[in-house]
Amino acid sequence: MEPSHASRTLRDIVAVLVVAIFMFPILWWGLNSIKPYSAIFDKDGPVYLDFEPTLDNYRVTMMGVSRVELAIQDGGGTYGAGGASSYDSRQTILDSIIVSVGSTIISVFLATLAAYALSRMAMRGKQHFIFWVLSQRFMPPIAIVIPLLFMFRDMGLRDTHFGLILAHVLINLPLAVLLLKSFFDDVPKDVDEAAMIDGATRWQSFRRVVLPMVRGGVAATAVLCFIFSWTEFMLSLYLTTSIRTLPVKITTFVTSTGTEWGFITALGTTAILPAFVFILLVQRHLVRGLTLGSLKE
Amino acid sequence: MASVTISDVSKSFGTVEVIHGLSLDIPDGKFVVLLGPSGCGKSTLLRMIAGLETATKGDIAIADTVVNTVHPKDRNIAMVFQNYALYAHMTVFDNMAFSMDLRGTPKAEMKEKVDWAASILNLTDYLDRYPRQLSGGQRQRVAMGRAIVRDPAVFLFDEPLSNLDAKLRVQMRTEIKELHQKLKTTTVYVTHDQIEAMTMADHIVIMRDGVIEQEGRPLDIYDGPDNLFVAGFIGSPGMNMLNGTVERMDGTPIVRMTDEIALPLPENAGAKDGQAVVYGIRPEHLEPRPDTGTLAATTQVVEPTGPENHVYASLGGVEVCAITRDRIEFKPEAPVRLTPDLERVHLFDADTGMVIRHG
Repeated sequence: MEPSHASRTLRDIVAVLVVAIFMFPILWWGLNSIKPYSAIFDKDGPVYLDFEPTLDNYRVTMMGVSRVELAIQDGGGTYGAGGASSYDSRQTILDSIIVSVGSTIISVFLATLAAYALSRMAMRGKQHFIFWVLSQRFMPPIAIVIPLLFMFRDMGLRDTHFGLILAHVLINLPLAVLLLKSFFDDVPKDVDEAAMIDGATRWQSFRRVVLPMVRGGVAATAVLCFIFSWTEFMLSLYLTTSIRTLPVKITTFVTSTGTEWGFITALGTTAILPAFVFILLVQRHLVRGLTLGSLKE
Repeated sequence: MASVTISDVSKSFGTVEVIHGLSLDIPDGKFVVLLGPSGCGKSTLLRMIAGLETATKGDIAIADTVVNTVHPKDRNIAMVFQNYALYAHMTVFDNMAFSMDLRGTPKAEMKEKVDWAASILNLTDYLDRYPRQLSGGQRQRVAMGRAIVRDPAVFLFDEPLSNLDAKLRVQMRTEIKELHQKLKTTTVYVTHDQIEAMTMADHIVIMRDGVIEQEGRPLDIYDGPDNLFVAGFIGSPGMNMLNGTVERMDGTPIVRMTDEIALPLPENAGAKDGQAVVYGIRPEHLEPRPDTGTLAATTQVVEPTGPENHVYASLGGVEVCAITRDRIEFKPEAPVRLTPDLERVHLFDADTGMVIRHG
């Protein structure tokens, strides 16, 4: 039965409301990043749109302008609340991109091979192995962070991009393998067999036939890995000192003399962008039904 | 082109043996159909010929070369799968050209071959399309095109038509047969559909539970089934099977079905008096008439198909089917007389299920 006009309108209103609830914090975040300090903390109540927009917060976090310079430009006084820690976050964003992209590439590469093998090849105790892979994800990272710290220190991996990439791969791999396995399972074995009869080796049938058919799954897995790595906090905090990823860097904006909400929101808003661009690049592969037409459905 | 020889091949999955020491000769250029109910091992046998399964015991030879350990790609075979197994991310052209591309065939030759296959299969206008943009029949033709461009020694078909609707199935049946007549490539075709087997095969191999029940030319099998299983499996509507005991009545042999019903036998029927038998008669050899005939039965359902009337009747409590091409009106629940063609009666031993040949 077609829903009536009234029920459709109601459905639309509910949908808009739900989206609004989810979007509001992001909007507020973005809004605060362009407010002058006085508008973020107004004694008379929240300021919504009644303020003079400024890019000062971005100039500090993204252009390396120091707080002293800003204060001088503003005609004396102090700008913001905190102490003297460095707010220039350009290197941080670069570090985060290196770690996230690096760990995503390695995770997806390893997971694709492992998932294909788990999906296609017979091996003794496969179910146990799959459960073992999954069980890695049950383990809370806090439980391994100290041993990992010592191991990384001894191997010279502490405070290196590669070390952090490796740590993120460790956490990402189990889920990536299982997720990709389910995508490979959806491609019927007949397709591999057809390729083999057509003259393909196992590698050729993987590379040229099966892999292109799970492109959507690879993209989805990449997005998940990237977002995890982009937002991961604890391992980054313990395993690095000079390299700072975004979540760790932002916590340094909470200082002993106050919280720099302006810089936090500016950097937070900026941090959304690379993730957004990455997902935008990947999302055209995120179409369902890539195997459509291969089989009789 | 090549012959295929299967010598004493067995196949086990774990502890379960699904094919038991089977031997079969497939001569060069023949169209052989492996026919049987699901689970009879016919697909497994085909997959062993393809090299997708390995034989547990015995030898498989293609063109007189044992290929037990040869990789599928080196067996010079082509296979069409039940669900087509097309490469969804490639165009029709690329699907067909894939095998040649892997072998490093020059582009010009590749195009020539694909064009040739496409023209045979009426796919010329679709070469740029993706499988998802094609109908079921077209997809099946792409799968066949992928097979024929290779110019293989043996074609293997694994129930290629079972996913198509009835009308398309009949059409594709003819196309595959035509293709075979054109190319004359040795073909092994697996199906559970006896009509497909009858219409397409030069030679039918009927399998059950991993053994061959009977093999031969389609009409020879139809006219002379070796046992009850084959008799019941081939033919639609199926052969009527009536249980009884051989007796003599007034000096002529009959099969006593019930006290009232005596099924007539030819003089030379090979059965002994007192032997428990199954009396088999195909519907088209059992003539229904409203008034005259040997056996008295009661009409239950009448199905006019156009060319024929199928009369389902109850004979001594057993449902039988009789077919006539005459335009006679039969009424449900009315008496009907049935006359078997004595020359076409099949007798089977009730205990062993094996045919009793006429003496």
